[in-house]
Amino acid sequence: MHCELCKKNQATIHIQEIIEGKKKALHICTECAAKKSHDDSILKGFNLAEMLYNLTGQMEFPFVNDEAAQIPGDPQVLLSCHSCGWDSDKFRKTGRLGCSNCYSAFKELLDPALKNMHRGTLHVGKKPGGGASNESGRLMLELMNLQKELEELVQREEYEKAAVIRDKINKLKKQMKE
Amino acid sequence: MRNDKSGIDRLLSNRVSWLADSGPEDDIAISSRIRLARNIEKTPFPMAASVEILENTLSIIMHAVRKSASFPDVIEFELEKVSDLERRLLLERRLISRELLACKKGSGLSVSKDETFAVMINEEDHLRIQAMKPGFQLHEVWSDINGIDDALSREIPYAFDSEIGFLTSCPTNIGTGMRASVMLHLPGLALSGQINAVVHGVSKLGLAVRGIFGEGSDNLGNLFQVSNQSTLGESEEQIIDKLINVIRQIINHEKNARQTLLEKKQNFLLNHVGRAYGILKHAYTISSEETLNSLSALRLGVDMGMFSSVDIHVVNELFLTVQPAHLQKYAMRELESADREIYRAALVREKLRNIDSRN
Repeated sequence: MHCELCKKNQATIHIQEIIEGKKKALHICTECAAKKSHDDSILKGFNLAEMLYNLTGQMEFPFVNDEAAQIPGDPQVLLSCHSCGWDSDKFRKTGRLGCSNCYSAFKELLDPALKNMHRGTLHVGKKPGGGASNESGRLMLELMNLQKELEELVQREEYEKAAVIRDKINKLKKQMKE
Repeated sequence: MRNDKSGIDRLLSNRVSWLADSGPEDDIAISSRIRLARNIEKTPFPMAASVEILENTLSIIMHAVRKSASFPDVIEFELEKVSDLERRLLLERRLISRELLACKKGSGLSVSKDETFAVMINEEDHLRIQAMKPGFQLHEVWSDINGIDDALSREIPYAFDSEIGFLTSCPTNIGTGMRASVMLHLPGLALSGQINAVVHGVSKLGLAVRGIFGEGSDNLGNLFQVSNQSTLGESEEQIIDKLINVIRQIINHEKNARQTLLEKKQNFLLNHVGRAYGILKHAYTISSEETLNSLSALRLGVDMGMFSSVDIHVVNELFLTVQPAHLQKYAMRELESADREIYRAALVREKLRNIDSRN
C-alpha cells in the first residue's frame, strides 16, 4: 500500500480513530508522519516514536492513551543514567529505558507520565517469589474502594447497607494502625 | 541444546492446545492469555545491552526454564539460528512478536510442546512469560503463570522495586508487568453494526480492543483482542476481575445480537453463513481477507447449530493455518501471492471435505 500523502513510499504507519462511532483511517509513510505530526488533527497527541514502537513492537503492547505517549519535561535538558549510559533523549525517541536504574535517573520525567498511564502510582501486586507486595498499599486501595461504595450507598439512601460498609471501613482503619 | 530443524517440526506436529481444545464459553471467547514482563536485576535491558550480555542472559534464562521444570517438554529456539520462514511461523502462532522477526542476536524462545506456556527471551524485556488456554478462563491462566513466575524467580533474580513493582523497559508495563487478554469472535455485533460502539465503549473503560490480524486490517475475521492497559496501582487479581467483568458484558451483547439476527433477520443470517460456506468449500483460489471473513461466518454458523458435522476447532485451526507462513510450510516451498491463494483454497477445501450442512 502506498502512502496516502506522498503516494510514493510504502505506507508503514496505519492510524485508525473512532470518533462518535465513525471510523477514520490514515495510511502513511514514516517521512510524511514526521512532517504531519505537528499540524494534522488525526496525528495530534501521538508521539511518532510511540506509534512506530506500536508497529514494530507488535500488536499486544498498546500505549495507554494520547497523554501517556507524551513524555513531559524540557527536551533541552539532557538527563543521563550513570549506570547504563541511556539518556533522556533516547527515552523520548524510543519510549523505553535502558536499565532498572533509569527509573531513578529519569524520575522527574517519569513520575508525571506514570500517573497518566496507570490507575495508581504504587505497586500492590505480587512480589518476586510470591506473596503480596505492599500490604499497606493493598489495604489503602481497599479502603478507597469501600469509601467510594459508602458514598454511593448514602446517595441512594441505602442506609442499612451503608452501615455494613462503614463497619468494614472502621475495621480496616484499625487494622492499618496496627 | 535441541535447536535444529526438528524444533519447528515438533511444534507443528502437536496440537495447539488453545485452538484445538475446548474451554469455557469458547463459542465466543476463543482463548485467554496472560503475559508477564520481567527483567534480570543489575543487567541492562535488551535495548541497551551488548551482544555479549544478551547471549549470557539468553543462556541463563533458557537454563532457568529447564531447571524450574515449569514447562513440560520444552522446545528451544535461538532466533538467530532459525530461518526467516520459521520466525514467521512462530509469529503467526503468537509465540514471538513482530519485533523478533528481524533477526536479533541473543534473542530466543522456550516453549512448551502444546504451546500453553512460552518465554520470549530478550525482546523488549529479558523475559516475556506467556500462558494461554482455550476459552474464557483468565483466573486459571493466572494461576498457571503465577506458579511459573514464582518458579523462575527462584532461579533468576528479578529487577523489582517495592514501590513501582517489576521494572520493565517500557514504563507502560511497570508494576505487575502483566497484560491479560481474551480473544473474542464477535460476528453478531459486526453484522448488526454495533461493533464500533462496543469498541468505543470498552476503550473508554481504559481497556484496549484491537483486531487480531495486525494493523490496518481492522476487523478481519471479526476476531478481537481485549486487554488491560494499566499495570500499576492494582493487583493482578483486581486487573483480571475488571477485565472479566467487561468481557462478560461483551459476550452477553454478542449473544443478544446473534439471537436478534436469528429472530428478526433469519434469511439474511442464513444467506451470510451459507454463501461463506459455499465459497470455502468450492473455491479454487481465495484471498486471505475473503478466507478470514468467510471462516468467521462459518464459525458463526457452527455455533448456531447450522452444521451437523463440523468441529469448531477445525475452523479455529484454519484461522491459523491459512496465514502466509503456514501455507508455505504446507506447500513446502516459497509461494508468490497468487500461488498462496491457490494453496489456501486447496487447504480449506481439504479441511472442510467432510462437513455436511444441515440447512
